[in-house]
Amino acid sequence: MTNRSRLTGIWYVLPALAFVIAFTAWPFLQMVWISLNDWSLITPPDFVGFQNYLDAFADSQFWVSLSFTLKYTLYITPILMIGGYLVSLLVTPNSGLSRLTRTVVFTPVVIGLGASSLLWYWLFSPNYGLVNKFLMDLGIIDSPVLWLGVDANLSNWAVILSITWKVLGFGMILFVAAIQAIPQEITEATMVDGAGFWQRVRKVILPLTRRTILLVTLVSVIGSLLAFDQFYIMTAGQPRNLTATSTFYVYLNSFPYLKLGYGAALSMILALIILGFTVVQMILTRRSER
Amino acid sequence: MGHTSKEERLVTGRKHGVRRLQPSVMMILILAWAMVAGACADSGAGDTTTSAAAEEEPTTTAAAEEEPTTTAAAEETTTSVAGEALAVTCDPVSPDTEGSLTMWERTGGNAQMVDALVCAWNGRNPDRPISLEYIEHTAMVDRLARGLATGDVPDLMGMDLIYGPQFTSAGQLLEVTDLVDQDLMATASPGHVATATWEDSLYGVPLYADVSALFWNKDLFEAAGLDPETPPTNLTELHDMAAAITGIEDGVYGYYLPGNCAGCNIFTFAPMIWANGGKIEPAAPGDEAMVTPEVIAPVLEWARMMHQEGLIDPAAQSEDGATFAQVFGSGNVGIMGTGNFNITLVSGAEGIEGQNPDMNYGVTLIPGLNTGDVASFLGGDIVVVPQGSERLDDAVDFMNFILSDEVQVEVYAKLLNMTTRTDPELTDNPYYAEVPLLQDVAAAIEIGQTPFTLKFFELVNSPQGPWLQMLQRVYYSDDDINTVIADAKAEMEAIINE
Repeated sequence: MTNRSRLTGIWYVLPALAFVIAFTAWPFLQMVWISLNDWSLITPPDFVGFQNYLDAFADSQFWVSLSFTLKYTLYITPILMIGGYLVSLLVTPNSGLSRLTRTVVFTPVVIGLGASSLLWYWLFSPNYGLVNKFLMDLGIIDSPVLWLGVDANLSNWAVILSITWKVLGFGMILFVAAIQAIPQEITEATMVDGAGFWQRVRKVILPLTRRTILLVTLVSVIGSLLAFDQFYIMTAGQPRNLTATSTFYVYLNSFPYLKLGYGAALSMILALIILGFTVVQMILTRRSER
Repeated sequence: MGHTSKEERLVTGRKHGVRRLQPSVMMILILAWAMVAGACADSGAGDTTTSAAAEEEPTTTAAAEEEPTTTAAAEETTTSVAGEALAVTCDPVSPDTEGSLTMWERTGGNAQMVDALVCAWNGRNPDRPISLEYIEHTAMVDRLARGLATGDVPDLMGMDLIYGPQFTSAGQLLEVTDLVDQDLMATASPGHVATATWEDSLYGVPLYADVSALFWNKDLFEAAGLDPETPPTNLTELHDMAAAITGIEDGVYGYYLPGNCAGCNIFTFAPMIWANGGKIEPAAPGDEAMVTPEVIAPVLEWARMMHQEGLIDPAAQSEDGATFAQVFGSGNVGIMGTGNFNITLVSGAEGIEGQNPDMNYGVTLIPGLNTGDVASFLGGDIVVVPQGSERLDDAVDFMNFILSDEVQVEVYAKLLNMTTRTDPELTDNPYYAEVPLLQDVAAAIEIGQTPFTLKFFELVNSPQGPWLQMLQRVYYSDDDINTVIADAKAEMEAIINE
């Protein structure tokens, strides 16, 4: 490669590189620096070394939040994956009904997460919510259920329901695209061989859409580990901080409590955990390609 | 339609005349769509969006945010004072207007009042009008903190008074001690003055005041066989009256305590503790919290009893403040601690439709365990000038303007809000005379207390704070009350000593 062509390559890469440096690398370095300081924004920063990290490990609420976040991720990821995949199997054929179903299931994806959380917050309202009214009219319950902010498990499931409604279509549409990309000859060959629908799903469709499954899993896991809006709006961490996710706890410390250094340290720890998950996912993806 | 091989169909992506998108293309389209949608959603997610559980939770002014507000485009009304018109509604002023002052105010406060004050000022000061911007109240503290760090601050601002000590102690507000009219300040709301003062220096004046009081539903009192003109004067009477009212109709309860709202409880339940001589929050490092447990415990025991006996709607356990202001006006609660804003909400006012205008109710001071012991939370906002403002003189003029007799009567009282000065000649005004309940609730200003602490949000207002955690254990668990108090005390002292 000549010097001239090398230089040309650098020029092509430079805009992307500048973007990454300005909007990812530099803020990340700043966050590292902030995490080493005790800083409230309204007073000058005070360098404290790794004290914020030591405080985080001794902070019981941090572990409660992390444990709840992992629990939420563990619950919602299979629901989104299996649910999205099953729906995609139903709506893959390009019939009118399938297209309509795809549109209906995908529509919530384009609604902002804040708006959808607010919508579900009011749907679950004990006095004004349609969910309770519906269940009472059907005679399933006698008195309003306190979905949010009273019982941690119930609150978690209420949020999971709202997010499933909101996000299921995202996985579905990717799965539909992946399934539709399977060469028709393969499907027809398995049909000629006498394979039933579920056999085709198990032996052909699932293996050939593995990369998409891993991609959607990765997106879903990272999104769930960073869950904020839905809990901020629907439960505010209640009851007794048991539904305060890690990101919610980071926000709480960084801004309302004005402990920016501590919040940055919590962010760093969370980033490392997510990095760990991502590395595992990447290893799995590479293995699947062999 | 010509024949197409399978290979050709795969290449072109067409089958039965319908285009099949390749996964990568589909993914890019979806991501692009999601980013656009996200950007659209986020564009409103900064300072002016609304959110429910967290955002709706009242701060010290509890559910005042639910109070209907006047819109800038509302029909303009004016009041003639000394030959001059004092506008209380007007069109908003752009920050680009020459000579204008920029002002921040939080949402969730008393927007109706602030709008009117700004309009009154703008009418009198067309060469230096105020351009008002509302900041999401849960984001106000960090927005100001960020603004102070970067120099992006308004010329003046309304601040929830309980955050005064945090910012004055950090030296982030400009002093106005010798600039504001001392005669006017002599009778200014003491709670506002206290929170705007740090080490004998004054940094702000009252913008508006909200006080908590005990409301009782005379219709339900009558239906329960109680004297509708006699409210409870101590917690025992309150319990007995609530017991008599509970269950007289389906869904009717004697009392109400929101179970998931820290701000509502400091506004309406803390006064019962204060009336009994207790103190909740530590002011500064080294200070003691929950003083004294022996005084606080009986009030907490009373609250637990009210829950255990079913005198409070079980649905209140999930009340996070979003519907708190509508509870009394529903007509299903016999007695309830709430704020002055609930008078307008329930009965309505000029241009404001009341929630339940035919309901008969009374207002009295929040009692303690013993007859004669009463207390109230005095909340609201103060006007302050952040460091970096270059319009201190104009800001001080605005402060003196809103403290003036004319504005106190013709803006505050006219809009059925509390006057921020306690002079009898101001509270004895023609507007209050038409609504005697306002005179009853105005009495709360003189006895009102305002917590003074450097970490109010973390200690009290946060849904994650020790105050709400303590109350939830009191209301909904069987944990030993003394243990609950001891835990709250330890946590509060740990927070303030950090």
